[in-house]
Amino acid sequence: MSARLAVDWTRCDGHGLCAALRPDRFGLDEWGFPIVGDPDVSPADEPALRAVVSACPALALRVDRPHR
Amino acid sequence: MTALLDRPVDTTAWTVGEPRLLAGLAQHARLDLAAHLSVHGALPPAERLVGYLEATPIAGRGGAGFPLAAKLRSLPGRAKHVVVNGTESEPASRKDRTLLLRTPHLVLDGAIAIAAATGARDLTVAVHDAAVAASVRAAVAERGDARGVQVRVIPGGFVAGEARAVVRALQGGPALPPGRRTPPTATGTLVSNVETFAQAALLLRYGPHRFADTGTRTEPGTTLLTVGGAVARPGVVEIPLGTPLGIVLAAAGAPALPEAVILGGYHGSWAVPMPDLRLSREGTAAVGAAFGAGVLLVLDGASCALGELARVAGWLADESARQCGPCRFGLPALAADVAALAAGLPRAGAAAQHARVVTGRGACAHPDGAARFVTSGLHLLRDEVDRHAAGGCRRPVLAQLPIGGAR
Repeated sequence: MSARLAVDWTRCDGHGLCAALRPDRFGLDEWGFPIVGDPDVSPADEPALRAVVSACPALALRVDRPHR
Repeated sequence: MTALLDRPVDTTAWTVGEPRLLAGLAQHARLDLAAHLSVHGALPPAERLVGYLEATPIAGRGGAGFPLAAKLRSLPGRAKHVVVNGTESEPASRKDRTLLLRTPHLVLDGAIAIAAATGARDLTVAVHDAAVAASVRAAVAERGDARGVQVRVIPGGFVAGEARAVVRALQGGPALPPGRRTPPTATGTLVSNVETFAQAALLLRYGPHRFADTGTRTEPGTTLLTVGGAVARPGVVEIPLGTPLGIVLAAAGAPALPEAVILGGYHGSWAVPMPDLRLSREGTAAVGAAFGAGVLLVLDGASCALGELARVAGWLADESARQCGPCRFGLPALAADVAALAAGLPRAGAAAQHARVVTGRGACAHPDGAARFVTSGLHLLRDEVDRHAAGGCRRPVLAQLPIGGAR
């Protein structure tokens, strides 16, 4: 299983920065909260998506590694 | 909230078939320790339980249906803490409080056995109301093997009954689901529903063979339902798993042809009342419905069903903890869509869209469950939606579905 984008919904305030930075990965609902189309993170895209995670002003985004 | 929760709980209970969990309750209002031992006998050694559970599937009775044996296996070594989740937050459910008020020793038997079998030092019974806490404390005081058992009253609310919210409240935090979906077992805390512990106590006494002499092959034993709505005999009902819906409806004094039933409570679904629907997880899943925590509600056709759905949709929106944006804004939007449909406005597309957009986008399963409830209701009531668009069904809303403090 690959790494996956995850939103901590208790933190997200709907700033929308994720969708502004990566409109290919994040949509916004009618209230401005992100819609993650495909949560799978490919190794090639992981550094760029980690930069988006770091940019989130609410620290609500993360890339989850599968753990067992 | 406290005033509502402190209202006395109706603990009327009856059975279809032989009583197990409810044994002795036809004769006794409440089983104290002496009555409990005379009805159920002494508790065998706890170490047998883990082996029995491997042979006998017991699905968790809190709603998610997670197998108890799998929950025990997912503990990292020994358990630290066993928590009996008695915070029954579903307004249509009374089964857990009925057990704790009327046969608390059976629940304590299971909890003490599971704590012993998993090596847990701490055992807590978490409840929402004072009367239930008093019953459990009285039972704890009667026993020699329950000295360390804590009984804690924690704040109420629908999502406050979620296992992770209960653990957070016990640790001094808010009674809200946390943002990460880490199960409590990952840190050595085993949380399970009141009835699950009582079932474990039965299994320990009966052994796998006798335990499985009722129920279905994949779901042995009995289960509790809370039956309500338009029935002559509402109450908590113990049935063999797999009992046909028609038998329970007849025994509860439901009308011969109800308009609809709701299975699994307000995170569950609306279903056509097919008499041969089997009341088990498998049987309800086969018709696309949920068993949930065993709630069965009946609508008889006298009340405006779409209006009933709109009331509950509004209540579900109010019960959002308002932690997560999609739930905080999406559930009121969904409730407004249903109210608009009941008023005859064309909002079916918006309702479907709002139900889709909240699903999977919260810290807990509240938005998912609320969306499933509304979507299944609108599907079942599609002809009613048309009737309302054409001028209405001319039926009053009788509040047959209990919400809030209507217990």
